[in-house]
Amino acid sequence: MHELSVCQALLAQVREIASGSGAAAVARIVIEVGPLSGIEPALLERAFAAMRAGSCAADAVLSIETPDVRIRCMTCDAQSQTSPNRLVCAVCGGFRTRIVAGDELRLRRVELNVPLAAA
Amino acid sequence: MCTTCGCTVTSGNAKLAREHAGAATAVEVLQDLLAANDRTAVHNRAHFDEHGVLAINLMSSPGAGKTALLEATIAALRDRYRIAVIEGDLETDNDAARIRAQGVPALQITTGTACHLDAQLVHRALHEFPLSGIDLLFIENVGNLVCPASFDLGQHLNVTLLSVTEGDDKPAKYPVIFRASDIVVLSKVDLLDVLDDFDPAQAEASLRALGRDTPMICTAARRAPAIAPWLDWLERELARPRALGPSLRPRIAPALRA
Repeated sequence: MHELSVCQALLAQVREIASGSGAAAVARIVIEVGPLSGIEPALLERAFAAMRAGSCAADAVLSIETPDVRIRCMTCDAQSQTSPNRLVCAVCGGFRTRIVAGDELRLRRVELNVPLAAA
Repeated sequence: MCTTCGCTVTSGNAKLAREHAGAATAVEVLQDLLAANDRTAVHNRAHFDEHGVLAINLMSSPGAGKTALLEATIAALRDRYRIAVIEGDLETDNDAARIRAQGVPALQITTGTACHLDAQLVHRALHEFPLSGIDLLFIENVGNLVCPASFDLGQHLNVTLLSVTEGDDKPAKYPVIFRASDIVVLSKVDLLDVLDDFDPAQAEASLRALGRDTPMICTAARRAPAIAPWLDWLERELARPRALGPSLRPRIAPALRA
C-alpha cells in the first residue's frame, strides 16, 4: 500500500534536513497523521521500521501524533470535534463545515545528533 | 559537569551522559509528506490551464461503471467537445481500447501494483499525450475507494461514482474520498427495480453527514443511457471561465483548511 511511498517521502525529507544541518544521525522524527489523512499510523510505523535501515535515521524513534478531527461550521462559526465520517457541526447540526484539523500528513520535527565539534 | 571523572553523573542522567556524544538539535519542520506529489500536481494543473483543458479525476471502486459512463459521455458530447482520456489500471489496456473505439484519444497507464495514480505518473503520461485542441480530459483512476483520494494529480475536479449494488452507506465508510468529491454520481440506477437494499436518499444523507453540500445525481450508462444530469453538470463546469486567474482546485481536504 502507499504507506511505503509516504515513508520514502518522509525519509527523503529527513535526509535533506539532516545533511543540511551537518548531523551525524537522526534521534527522533515527529510526524502528524490525522484520521482523515488516508494513512494508517500502524502501517506507517511498520514501513518505517523496515525502510530506515542503512539511512541516517537507522536508529531514529518515530513519534506519530494523531490529532483529533476538528471542524469549523460555516453556519454558526463554532468549532467542534467530530468523528471522521460525521463532519456535521456538534453545536447547530449544520452540514457545511471546514476541516480545521484531522487531515494532516506532516513532518513536524526532526531531532538530530550533531557532532560536538560542529555544535 | 566534570569531564574527567563524570562526578555529577547520577543514576538519573547516566544514560544521557553515556549516549550523547554530540549535542541534540531539534529542527521544526511542518512540511506535508506528500509535498513532492503536490508540487508535481501543481505543475500538471498549470499545464492543463495553459492548454485550456478541464481535467476531471474519475474515481470509484472497481466495477462501479467509470468506463461505461465515459463511453456514454463521449457518445453524447463528442460532436461538441474534444475529449481525451487517461486510463489508470494495474494491468491491461482494455479500458483505453474501449475509449479509443469511441473515436477519442486514450492513453493507458498501467501501474503494476500501485493502487492509485499519482502526479508523477500523470506527468509522465502528459509527455506522450499532446493536449493542444483538447477541451475535456478525463483521468480514470484505478478502481479503489481508499488511496486515490490522497493524491492530487493536478485535476480541477474530483468525481466519485457509487453504484447501487455497493451499499448506500459507502460515504460513511470511505469519508476521505467522498468528502474530496465535487460531485457524487450514482451509477446503474436502472437496477434499482431489482434491488431491495439501496436507498438513494440514505446514500445522500450519508454523503451530507460528511459536512459538504456535494451534489449527488443518478445515472444509468448502459442499454438506454440516462445521463442528462451528468451532462448538465459537465457542461456547466466546461462553461465556467477558467482561462485566467487562479485555477479551480478540487475538494481535496488540505486545500480547504480553515
